Amino acid sequence: MYCLRVVEVNRFERAEVVSLKFDRKLRGHPGQFVMLNVFGFEEIPISLSSPDTLMIKAAGETTRYLQKVKKGDLFGIRGPFGRPFSLPAREEKSYLVAGGIGIAPLNYLYARLKEMGRDVVVIHGVRSSDEILFDYPEIATNDGSYGFKGNAVQLFKRLLDTSEPFRVYACGPRPMLFSLYREIKRLGALERAEFSLERYMRCGIGLCGSCVKSGGLRVCVEGPVFRGDEISEGDFLV
Amino acid sequence: MLEVEVAGMKLRNPVMLASGILGSKHSSLLRIAEFAGAVVSKSVGVERREGYRNPAVLNRKCCIVNAVGLASPGAEVFSGELREFSMKSKTPLVVSLFASRPDEFASLADYFPFASAFELNLSCPHAENAGMVLGVDEKLVKKCVQVIKDVTDKPVLAKLTPNVTDIVDIGRAAEEGGADAVVAVNTVKAMAVDIFSRKPVLSNIRGGMSGKALKGIALRCVWDLYEELEIPVIGCGGISSWKDALEFILAGASAVQVGSAFYYSYRAIEGIVRGLEEYLRLTGEKIKDLIGAAHENA
Repeated sequence: MYCLRVVEVNRFERAEVVSLKFDRKLRGHPGQFVMLNVFGFEEIPISLSSPDTLMIKAAGETTRYLQKVKKGDLFGIRGPFGRPFSLPAREEKSYLVAGGIGIAPLNYLYARLKEMGRDVVVIHGVRSSDEILFDYPEIATNDGSYGFKGNAVQLFKRLLDTSEPFRVYACGPRPMLFSLYREIKRLGALERAEFSLERYMRCGIGLCGSCVKSGGLRVCVEGPVFRGDEISEGDFLV
Repeated sequence: MLEVEVAGMKLRNPVMLASGILGSKHSSLLRIAEFAGAVVSKSVGVERREGYRNPAVLNRKCCIVNAVGLASPGAEVFSGELREFSMKSKTPLVVSLFASRPDEFASLADYFPFASAFELNLSCPHAENAGMVLGVDEKLVKKCVQVIKDVTDKPVLAKLTPNVTDIVDIGRAAEEGGADAVVAVNTVKAMAVDIFSRKPVLSNIRGGMSGKALKGIALRCVWDLYEELEIPVIGCGGISSWKDALEFILAGASAVQVGSAFYYSYRAIEGIVRGLEEYLRLTGEKIKDLIGAAHENA
């Protein structure tokens, strides 16, 4: 474990999300996560949202506390850990499908793909316009308060052009990932899709077995990003 | 070449999965069972147990420090998970049990009719009311083993703690109680402090240390137990290569258990098994003939 200091805090209060920028870059890749030790609270797995930022949505005691973090605060870090997203071939168009805070790791991937000059569409589904975090053009809101009325998977189906080679990268709540998985399976394209999965984790280093999914795969080491054909439907139902 | 018989169990090789590592789900156990001589499950008690909150595990340069606190879904739920394993694998399954009193061990045995053997966790150094609190007391150790031997015909292994003045006294107590083998050792009591925040790292402050740094300590325990006990000794602690495994076997271990080495590779056991195989092919020996061989040269 090492310690990093927060140098910038960005609050998205209506979305109950905070973005913490650290004084050093984490040597990681899009899709990887760190074990963030919040002193006095818990140590939790959080995906990188850029080389030096973590975005955290309030969900439990620790993540609620994190909303109040100030510039200068110190955090323990282990990692980055896990398998990152793989990168698309030059001719492939990438569809990044995010639900809610699932946009965090995909935001990092988007930046990487743009640096590489790849063709990318980001689709971000949220409940209402309050939860929009970045100004990507393709936003779906459940209540229709902004952009497309519906969810991210519905919008993805509209935008996907199957006549050219494509890749899909997804992160979001389990029901959303499940519906996207079934859609991709229907298209027979599971090996062209990658899903970032979430599980309760203790060690983050492949030992404790808390995050094991079907096939004996550990979300913390073989994941959190899995190719569609490494996932079974049961993985979404736990 | 690699076959051994330990505590009445016939193992195709002497390399077992240690308890507490990747032993909570049947899917990870199945993956490891492809190569392991036997697998030991995560310890289970009668009731569901939450364990300590994170941080519960810390990886350091030469060791892992953990205080997971015997997190467990409880015997009933876990028996369903392990049954799934036993239906799909021929590799012997050792079910690790923890309890706060000797008689609780007896009530646990019934949940696992499919187990090949039981391992008594008398050695977890960081759980309240279980593990090492029993394992440091010779009378309690003997009683725990007796109680479970009374209710089951399956082999019973006693996993010992190195956090005692003389591990041989504890091992002897287990033997007197009727244990079929002892496993030496569980983690060494330890902790870690973060120098920047100046706080203990683990939420429980104290935990247990495993991994490479433990090897010399565990090896000495195996050596001493082998000299004094009649029953077989299973070596555990810091084994991450086939050379480590062989060292334990020469010191008297009839089999070895591997856990923290999975931090370095999911194929840790496969690598050790392959390495031992190559070695024996070279020397033309059988592994069972090497058990304790170093004692003759001492």
